[in-house]
This record gives sequence, C-alpha cells and structure tokens, in this order.
Amino acid sequence: MLDPQTVKQWKRFKSIKRGYWSALILAVLLGLSLVAELLVNSRALIVSYEGTWHFPTYGGVIPGSKFGLEYDYETNYRELQQKFKDADEGNWVLMPLVPYNAFENDLRTDKFPPYPPSLESKHYLGTDSTGRDIVARLMYGFRIAMGFALVLLVCSYAAGILVGCAMGYWGGAFDLLFQRLIEIWNTIPFLYVIMIVASVVVPSFWTLVTVMVIFGWTTMTWNMRTSTYKEKAREYVNAARALGAGNSRVIGIHILPNTISVIVTFIPFSIASGVASLTALDYLGFGLPPPTPSWGELLSQGTDNLESLWIVSSVGLSIVAVLLMVTYIGEAIREAFDPKKFTYYE
Amino acid sequence: MDLLLKRFQSLLFFMTVGFIAGCSGPDGSIDPNDVGSTEDTVSNQEGSNGSGDEDSDETVYVELPPIEVREGDGLPLELPPNLVWLTNNEDPEFASPDAIRGGMYRTWMLSFPLTLRLVGPDSNGAFAGVVRANQFGPVSYHPQTGNPIPVLATHWAFGEDGRSIFYRLNPDAKWSDGVPVTADDFVFAVQFLRSEQIVGPWYNNYYTERIRDVKKYDTHIYGVQGADAKPQEEMHYYYGLGPRPQHFHRMSDNWVTEYNWKPDPTTGPYHIGTIEKGKYVDLERTQNWWADDLRYMRNRFNPETIRYRVIRDENSAWQHFVKGEIDTFDLTIPEYWHEKAKHEVFEKGYVAKYWFYNQLPLGSTGIYLNTSDPLLSDKNIRLGLAHSINFQRVIDTILRGDYERLETFQLGFGPYDNKSIQPRKFDLRKAGEYFEAAGFASRDNTGIRTKTNDNGSTTRLSFRVTYGNPLHTPRLVVIQEEAKKAGLELQLHLLDSATSFKQMLEKKHQLAWMGWASSGVAPRYWEHFHSVNANVTQTNNITNHANPAMDELIMQFRASADRDERIALAHQLEQIVHDSAVVIPRTKVPFTRQGAWRWLELPEWLGTRHSTALFNSQPSSQMYSGGGLFWINEQKKEEILEAKRDDQQMDKLVVVDESYRN
Repeated sequence: MLDPQTVKQWKRFKSIKRGYWSALILAVLLGLSLVAELLVNSRALIVSYEGTWHFPTYGGVIPGSKFGLEYDYETNYRELQQKFKDADEGNWVLMPLVPYNAFENDLRTDKFPPYPPSLESKHYLGTDSTGRDIVARLMYGFRIAMGFALVLLVCSYAAGILVGCAMGYWGGAFDLLFQRLIEIWNTIPFLYVIMIVASVVVPSFWTLVTVMVIFGWTTMTWNMRTSTYKEKAREYVNAARALGAGNSRVIGIHILPNTISVIVTFIPFSIASGVASLTALDYLGFGLPPPTPSWGELLSQGTDNLESLWIVSSVGLSIVAVLLMVTYIGEAIREAFDPKKFTYYE
Repeated sequence: MDLLLKRFQSLLFFMTVGFIAGCSGPDGSIDPNDVGSTEDTVSNQEGSNGSGDEDSDETVYVELPPIEVREGDGLPLELPPNLVWLTNNEDPEFASPDAIRGGMYRTWMLSFPLTLRLVGPDSNGAFAGVVRANQFGPVSYHPQTGNPIPVLATHWAFGEDGRSIFYRLNPDAKWSDGVPVTADDFVFAVQFLRSEQIVGPWYNNYYTERIRDVKKYDTHIYGVQGADAKPQEEMHYYYGLGPRPQHFHRMSDNWVTEYNWKPDPTTGPYHIGTIEKGKYVDLERTQNWWADDLRYMRNRFNPETIRYRVIRDENSAWQHFVKGEIDTFDLTIPEYWHEKAKHEVFEKGYVAKYWFYNQLPLGSTGIYLNTSDPLLSDKNIRLGLAHSINFQRVIDTILRGDYERLETFQLGFGPYDNKSIQPRKFDLRKAGEYFEAAGFASRDNTGIRTKTNDNGSTTRLSFRVTYGNPLHTPRLVVIQEEAKKAGLELQLHLLDSATSFKQMLEKKHQLAWMGWASSGVAPRYWEHFHSVNANVTQTNNITNHANPAMDELIMQFRASADRDERIALAHQLEQIVHDSAVVIPRTKVPFTRQGAWRWLELPEWLGTRHSTALFNSQPSSQMYSGGGLFWINEQKKEEILEAKRDDQQMDKLVVVDESYRN
C-alpha cells in the first residue's frame, strides 16, 4: 500500500494539468527514444529474402552480399527495398518510419545539401548541411541529451546529498570547513575548465559527465545541509538516537526520507539544466565529439545556415518544447510537494 | 623584398584558416580569415607605447656592430670589374592605362594589430602582411612571365661564386618620408636583423646563417652573399633582402616598446596614415611616389586611401559588405559563392562576382600518415587507406564541385611539378586487396575489418584522424561514412587548432588531416621527408618518413644550383613521395573568387597568372609584383548608389575566367 501522503501528493500533481500532460508526453518521448532504432533507422525492420526472415535492427552488420548484392559492406536497405520491389520475386523489406540513421550522408549529385523537408525522400524535417536526416539527428540527440542529464543528475546528487547531509548532521567545525571549501570551489569558472579540457583531449560522454559532476555537485549541498539541520533538531531523531541508532541509520532511515521533497522538487530543474548545458557546450564546440548526434551541433549549423530555415526551426522548437515541458513538470512537482499548500490556499 | 622570409611566415600552418584559398599569400592582401596570432584585445595605448618619449632620459642608444663575416665567407673588397649588369625592361606591362587614380578602398580585418613594428614580438599578425608588402626589395618577379623585374634596383649582376649578387639602386628611390634609399639601408638591414634589440630570434638566426655578408660599394651599389649557391633565376628570391630605414631606427634595449606604434617609412606606394586604435588603419598613398612612372609600376595602386576596418565577426562583415560599406568580399568558400551571394545586391547587378583561375603554389593539403604507428608502417595498409578515402564524393557534394583533387604532395611550381602522377582514387576493390594483403581479411559484426594476430588477439582496422578545424567536420563525416564501406573505421579527433598542430609536431597522431601553406619558387622536401627530421618532435616531418635513398636525393636537390637538375630531382622526389603513400593529397583550390561592388573596375584581362586576388590593393602577391590593378570609378559609384536607392534592376555580372586554368 502506498503511503497516504504520497497518494495525496500524486493526486495533487495530477490535478495540475500542464505538468501532468508534460510528464506524460516526455515519458512517451523518452520511451520512444529508447527504441529509436525501430522507428528511425537505416536498417530495415524485417527483410524477407528467399523465404527467410531477417531482423537487422539490433545486432551486427549484415553485408550486402547476404541479400544477393555485390558488396561486402553494410546493406543499403532503402536500395534493397527498391530492388526487391522492381524485381518482384516475392522478397520484401519493411523499413522503419524514417528510413535514415543519424550518421549517414544522403547526398545527391544533382543538388547540394542541406535539403529541405520532403515527404518523397522521407526527410520529414529535411537534412543538415552534410545530408544527414534531421529527424534522426533530433531523435538520437534527444536520447543522448536526456541520458546525459540523468547520469549527471544521479552522480551530482549522490555527492551533493552525501556531503550536504554530513555537513548538516555533524555541524560545527566540519560544517564550517566544508562551507568554505565549497565557496572556494564555486569560484572556479566551470566553462573555462571545460574549454581547457576540450582543447587538450577529445571530450567523451564520460569525461564531460565527470567534469560537470566535479563542478556541479555543490549546489545540492546547501539545500541538504539546511534540511538536515532542521530535521536533526526534531524529536523523532532524538528518539531514534535514544533507541541506540547509529549515525548512518539516523541519516539514512530517518532524516533522508524526510528531506525527499527538497530533492524531488529540484530534479526537473536539474534535468533541464543538464540538457541545456550539453546543448550549449555542443553549440560552442566543446561538447561531444563529431559526428555524435547533438542538438547543440544542429543549432550551430542552423544559425550558420539561416537560409535553410528548417534546420534552426526544428531544433529550436524541440529545445524550447523539451525545456518547457521539464519546467512545467518541475512546477507541478513543487506544488504537489509543497507542505504549506493547504495553509495558503485552503 | 624579403621573399623567403615571408614564405617562412606563411609556413606556419593554416589549419586555423581552414580553406587554402581563404589564406592569402604572406605578402598579399590581408586575409580576414586568418585569425593568426593577433588577439581580440587591443593593447592599451599608454601601457604599450608610453615608454618611448617619457623615458628617453634613461634609454641608452647603441650603435650596431659592423657585419661579422665568417672565415670562408665574404664579398670582395672592391666591386668585381667583370660583372655583367642585367635588367629587364622588355616584359609586357600588366596594368591598364584606363585606370583612374583616387578614392578610398574599404576593406576589413578581424582584429586590430597588436603592433605596427615589422619584427619583434607580436609582429606576425595578419596585418603585418599588408605593411610588409609595401616594403619593396631590390627586385621582384613579373606576374606573367615570372622574370625578375627592377624595383628598388635598376640592375643586378651575379658573382662568380654562385652565391653572391650585386645590385645597382635606382637613384630616385626614396622612403615615404622623403629620405633617399641608399646602399647603407641594406647593410643596416642585416645589422638590424642580427641585433638582439629586435627580440626576434628567428630573424637573428636566419640573417646570420642564410645571409653571410652584405657590402656597400657605392651609395647606390651593394652586394649580398648567401650561404649556398642557387640557380640565378631563384637567387633574388633567396638573397634579395629588402632595406630597412637606417635614419629612422635608433637602437636601444627599449626598441621593441619604443617602436611599437611607430610605423617604418615605406618604399612602396602606401604608408600607414591615420590610425584609430581598435577601429581602423588607413594606408595612404605616398605623395609623389618615386616609382609612379616606372614601367612595371605605372597605372597601379590607384586608390588614394585604403581603409582596413576592424570587424570582429565574419557574418557581420558580410552584412557591411552587402550594405556597401565594404567594397569587396572573398567568395572562395562554396557556401558564399553559391548561397550567400544570392543576395539581392548581386541579383540586381550592383555587385559583381568574379571567379578567376590562377597558377600559384597550392597548399599541401592532405592526410598525413604517421609511419611510426605499427599498422601504418605497413605499406599495404597505407595504400589501402589511400583507396578508401573518398575525396571525390566530398568535392562533388559538399564542396559543390568547385574544388579539385590535389594530385601530388606539392604542386603549382611550374616546371617543378611532376604531372605524370595520378592520385589514388576511391576504389573498394583495390582497397580490399591491399587490406587483405596486410592480413585484414575478415570483418567484425560492426562491418570493420579485423586481423587475427599470432597470439590469438584481434586488431580492428581503426584509426584516429586528428584535425583542428571544426569547419572541416562536414567533409570528414562524409569520408568517415564512405570509409566504412571499405571496412575502415575513422575516429574523428577534433582538437583546438594549436593543440592539434602540436600533437602532429610531437608525432602523436595516427592520421593528420592538415595542410601546409606553400609559396616560393620551388617545392621543399627536406623539412617534410628527410630522415633527420623523422621520429624527433617539433619537426615538419609528420609522416616520420625515412628513406636513405630519398635523403640522398633531397641533399642533392638542396645543394644544386642547376635549375634543370633541380627540376629533374624534384620530379623524382615527388614520385618517391607518391610511391611511399605516406600522404594522401586532398583538394586544391586553383582560383580566387571575390564579390565586388561594380564601381570597382578591373583591367580587361582582370588579373595575372599569379594573382592571389583580383582586388588586391597591395603591391605583391606571393613573390610576384602583381597587385594593385583595380581602380575606383567615382562616377559609376554615384550611379549605382542611385540605382540602389531607386531599387532599379541593372545587368547581373558574373565573370568566370579560365585563361590560366591548368
């Protein structure tokens, strides 16, 4: 059975329509992006060749020679589909909705990229300046950005909560020392560090996460410190202590669950800032290395090619939509968890 | 002029610039793309030039020591009596007699120069090229025939030792402050460039090692002796150093700060006039310029003033251009020529587009393979790589067919070019054969070739491509995707341009995507391929190529003073470079493209064989004296501006000139 408090909070969250719908849409998008290979991919979903069915989506490369083509590199399934259709020998190919992946350059000899959106070529949002499909870039870029934001969230919260709790729980000299350390740490300009790192090594997903955690964990400590201070003074903590509970038990079982509302309300905003930071870094060229699909890189292409409006508008709208939804969710959660709600509104 | 010196400066790698054609010659027009060494901030006026006058009590001025001559070197004490004095007044003129003098030519630069000195700290920014171009040497080269033509000197003669050259100066030659140019200025130049006070170790070394003696024989006659014998045709290039104004420089330990904002008087048509720090620099035409009526100088350098305005962003410079606040804009990059230049000022005919093929040394762009890498030491792998890189697809699609495939490592040196070499083309069958010969016969489940080693482990056919220019990413992603077909994985390793270059010089790369700027009279092999430069850091042999047979030929090539022999050697050397497959030559840009408001007019023949740009306001481009051919038609300017106000349609003008297309 769920805690009645949680049920109440969930109901309150659901009653805030804007946030609730945003959460639903975002969850669906996230779910879809996890199976993006089935929706947006240059590999076919099913190939029926000489009576055998092949499922190329997941797994290794299937060379063209396997389907009676003349080459040993990965099969071009779009061409294969056309070929089977023309030959009409009972073979067939089922392609995903958008038959392109995020890396391939669909270049034509008669026209130069970027190509505008077209239903016929199935580039529903057009291509970027090297002929890569924008839907594919957006979809896979979304997955990477959200993944990045979530990993970042978990890592920096873990560190922030741990240190913040310790500061609030022990207080005194320990608290004082860490406060000063964090203040000093916070004055290091994070963007310059990233720029320096990016100029020396090619930043990978994990180096970026590491650098951002190293500089981002401090924000959470202040809130956790205050909440822990507050909770520590309550009777139930004293009671637990009197029963002989150790420090870790008091913090882990008693204090932490009571500060959860603080943590939860911050999560959506942290995700938004994680997505925004990665996009900004990619835009500036200090983010993930090419050819990783990335919203920031697409945005910078868009601003460089303002004549090709479909690039900047599709990525711009996507960023705005996602950040808006996350912010709505954040607002809704904050209100749902607000203990003062009834005092104020009822 | 100090041609070789300028070449050295351009040698400093142009990955930052990104596209060769965007990179101007070292002494040609200023290249706004070249962010070079200048920074965005302008040094504080008080901070950097104050010391000169206020501190003059404390400054100790020194006399420079006479030129030290080593044993075995030295020019004769008396002028050799049997000299044959040569000159050249027969080559055709290349400027148009229709030219109109006057007006202001407005162009731009990305940042304000950090100093106006020509040597010393911070003196190698993009603007330095403009100032240097206005410092003439004794002789320059004709932009059509390539023959030497008189500039400061009227005659020249070669010494018997094969490495000295004597010049007779034009008695009319004057500095822009009116002081005559004499032989003393040339002797002073070497004293000056060897002195510690200029804080220029490269100059100190070069003018000690390469220039061995300079001697004055008369007010207007002097001689120069270089380190090695050179073919006579190329001697001016190597040893024809330019003068420095002796009357202007007072040497002291404070020279660098004292002269930071004191521009040298010039011998060329323009000198630095008004300066608004951080905003613009005006070059003004010297009144009654001494060379105005010389055969190869008349009807050139027509604008009265040239304004270099600081615009810190290329996009906003473009906006200034289409508004008519800047007269010309470089359109070499395909996006500019094909897309941006669809702007209505082009469509309505107010601005013309020019595409002009030229014949200049082409940058050595390519993929440089580090042969110290265990895989890349295998020639089969190198050959396989060469056949897996699809440059043609990049050219046909992203570069819109404008650029061309570069055939050989060095190209554009006339007879030195080895035209028999054909570049290796993208060919999956050949690539497969070579990779299989190297043991990469099977493919893993990502489609990349693998090799099973003796100890049972497997190696994937995967390489890092190190590069430093984000603008090249689109080209590389196409190549990356195409290479997968050959079972080759390329990992793009984009670094900051300085860091990537450092990695290459430290030989930490596997495949280096880069380009060397090239200019001068002949290709160079020693720095790129001699074994003394292999496997040591900070040398230009980034392929770590070492081949004793080639070493021997390189040394012969360097030592030879016989041009025909040098040409034959160069052909052989280029063939060895091709055969060794350590470089995969990339693309060449054998043209210049510019957009210009129609009030700028050109001669009927537009430009010369060696024009780096058509609207080049500076005297020389590369080593040739071919700039300054255009002029401003003020009457037409009014007409065009009026038409623009009334939104009238004029005839559209797009000129493509292939006269000098190879």
